[in-house]
Amino acid sequence: MNPKKKKILKIAAILIVIGLLAGGGTILYLFNMPHRNVQNTSTDFKLSNSQLVSEYLQNEAAANEKYLAEDGDSKVLEIIGTVKKINDDFKGQKVILLQNKADEAGVRCSFTKESSNHLSSIQIGDMLTIKGVIRSGVSYDPDLELYENAILEKCDLIK
Amino acid sequence: MKKNSIIFSTLALMFIFSTAALEAEKLVSTKTHFKFYSHTAVEDIEANNYAALGTIDPESGAVIFSVPMQGFEFEKALMQKHFNSGNFLNTKKFPKAKLKGQITNLDEIDFKTDGTYPAMVEGDLNIKGVSQQIKEKGTISVKGNQVTVDSKFNITLADYKITFVKGKPSTNVAKTVEVTVKAEF
Repeated sequence: MNPKKKKILKIAAILIVIGLLAGGGTILYLFNMPHRNVQNTSTDFKLSNSQLVSEYLQNEAAANEKYLAEDGDSKVLEIIGTVKKINDDFKGQKVILLQNKADEAGVRCSFTKESSNHLSSIQIGDMLTIKGVIRSGVSYDPDLELYENAILEKCDLIK
Repeated sequence: MKKNSIIFSTLALMFIFSTAALEAEKLVSTKTHFKFYSHTAVEDIEANNYAALGTIDPESGAVIFSVPMQGFEFEKALMQKHFNSGNFLNTKKFPKAKLKGQITNLDEIDFKTDGTYPAMVEGDLNIKGVSQQIKEKGTISVKGNQVTVDSKFNITLADYKITFVKGKPSTNVAKTVEVTVKAEF
């Protein structure tokens, strides 16, 4: 084999190995890709609970278009509002409802098991800023005969 | 004197009607758990959602659940992205699934007496904008002022136009998925 051919073969072999490694690595990465860390993601919108509620009640489709992402990694919001309720969910996470007295609905914020620990001194009536990812918006459901709250998850307090 | 007794009986009637109205009120649950479970020879996949809203009307037997679809969490981020994407559940276009049912054996359930009652529910389940009739069994437990609902049933994904024709999802996701529901009212 002449040296030129040998060199081409060698380069080709190296390229194939690099390609395989990169391809394999990408597949492995995609498969084991970690969940987005919502608290380390920069905030997309900062607004009050009332602003979010009225935006949804005025035009639900437009609000969904603005806030929801097709892959489920929807917008990260910072919501300023007054605590109306404090509950636990079945996962053992704290859930805080931010809602003003005059509003039909509020923003339901589920904390994580870890961030729930930051809420020990929080009381009904407190004014808070909560950061989380939006899962769904506000709407009136004629079957439930209720206004559904906007839902934020992976929440934590913003100091 | 007569005037007083009229006032008194009016007040008494108002009190009776107001308590009756209270009793007829719907039960509302914000503490819920919806689980999808898919089993295949290749792998088992689970997704959990704790953010649904439900109501039961003890008078009429109407049962309603609204489930925010982006609230389903998978162990693997990629699966969650697939689940939400336009090809699969299209959660941006259809952010909520809805169960609209009717308890068919309401006379066998006493919401005022402690106990565990089997419940039959018939109605419509709407996922991804597609409605299908369902007829499932569940349990209603009453303990003091607390009512708990449990149910487990299967749904066939193709019925809701959720289909995987190629790639990993077509081999790793079961055609029929088990749904577990728990709600505290």
